[in-house]
Amino acid sequence: MMRFCAQLIRLSLISVAIVIFAFLPLSSKADGPAVGVQMDISKAGPRAVENETERRILSDYRLAWTNIAQAMESNTPAPLQALFVGPAKKWLDDSVSSQQKSGLSSKYLNQNHRLQAVFYSPEGDVIELHDTAQYEMQVLDDGKVIHDDNVTHHYVVLMTPGADRWVIRQLVAVPQF
Amino acid sequence: MSWSTTTVWNSLRAKARLVACALAAVYMGPLSVAQQITVPSSVTAGTESTISTSGSGSGTFYLVGPGVARKNQINLGQTVRLSSDDLQFAGQYLAIVCAAECHSSEFIVTAGKPATLAFLVHPSRVPVGQPDSVSGVALLFDRFDNLVLDPTKIGFQVSGLKQILYSREEVTHDGEVWFRTNSGKEAGPVHLTASAGDLTAKRVVQQVASDPCNLRIRAQQTPRGIEIETEPVRDCAGNPVSDGTIVTFTGMDSAGKISIDAPIKDDVARAHMNVPAPVTISAACGVAMGNELRIGQKP
Repeated sequence: MMRFCAQLIRLSLISVAIVIFAFLPLSSKADGPAVGVQMDISKAGPRAVENETERRILSDYRLAWTNIAQAMESNTPAPLQALFVGPAKKWLDDSVSSQQKSGLSSKYLNQNHRLQAVFYSPEGDVIELHDTAQYEMQVLDDGKVIHDDNVTHHYVVLMTPGADRWVIRQLVAVPQF
Repeated sequence: MSWSTTTVWNSLRAKARLVACALAAVYMGPLSVAQQITVPSSVTAGTESTISTSGSGSGTFYLVGPGVARKNQINLGQTVRLSSDDLQFAGQYLAIVCAAECHSSEFIVTAGKPATLAFLVHPSRVPVGQPDSVSGVALLFDRFDNLVLDPTKIGFQVSGLKQILYSREEVTHDGEVWFRTNSGKEAGPVHLTASAGDLTAKRVVQQVASDPCNLRIRAQQTPRGIEIETEPVRDCAGNPVSDGTIVTFTGMDSAGKISIDAPIKDDVARAHMNVPAPVTISAACGVAMGNELRIGQKP
């Protein structure tokens, strides 16, 4: 009888552990929504973009937009800390705090970014990108969708190398390139 | 005389509809209909602007853009005022007006006139006579740090101690412009200037001597050994090579080879070699090889 009870308790504990393990990734949005990014470096100059630099910029830019989406949806500036500096960080932080005050939130869904590197400085300390971004943008007021549109926006982006990543310094939407 | 039951029934149903409509109208309040939003075609960052709405009744106005997510109640058909604080950042803004349903329209805010000139110059120290070794990038920003994308003329000037090494006017493209030039022939500070209208940014690059040229040594045998020193070490343009540059002295005798590294101080590198004569001494600094000296045994 005692052995049966012990076995039952052990089984219950294992079941609870399996349930917690199964649901843990759902509650943590570490990876965020999928963001598609492609990059063309053929027109970059005067310095040529090395393969490793291209790979790093792609990865950091993808993560930056994942972080924008998370910050704007959850209304928390924490995701903006790592990959934004200067004016880009200022307006993103201001957007989040302004959304918090007014009870709004925004969602950037199904993102696809086509990047064109248009300038890479002689010493590699700044790169300018043109991003043709397509995404579904939702604006929510107290959780209710008040705007939902599939948009194509053009962004001029300035990125500079940090200690171990490329950070976004300018992110400006323009009517066209 | 008989009453038509259908007519009575129809009459009752019509009255009920009227009453229901009246109750609904009372419950819903004044009818709010938003028809259209007219946004400005273009706005300069940090300036005021207006958005006009059509329709009647009350509604909710939203402004969502870089740095702003504003919500307030408005009377439809009236003009909504956007303050300069609302429109500080260049970019895409979305205006939404909701009444019975929501309507939206987008507009662009562009950077204002240049207020800051960022000038990135490389390197901070450069050897003289190097082709394409000095470069500069200039970027223009307005007073809110928005990148100014309108083409703007920027003048670059690179001046040495005695002459202008480079001077050219370029036009920004996508907010930036750059140049690259050779370093000059003389060691010393080189002043680089970028200017756009009233804005000027100045940087200094230190030009240093290039690799040594014609390294020559002399030696003297003393009771304590051999004292060796170079003649003043200069590059091919005659600039004294920087203090601290290492000269390697090598002595070869029957017992083998001995090397001594000595830094240049006040244009000259000195070393003491404690080896018995006869010995052959040479020196090297960077890519320059010095003359060879043969020190014989004292009679």
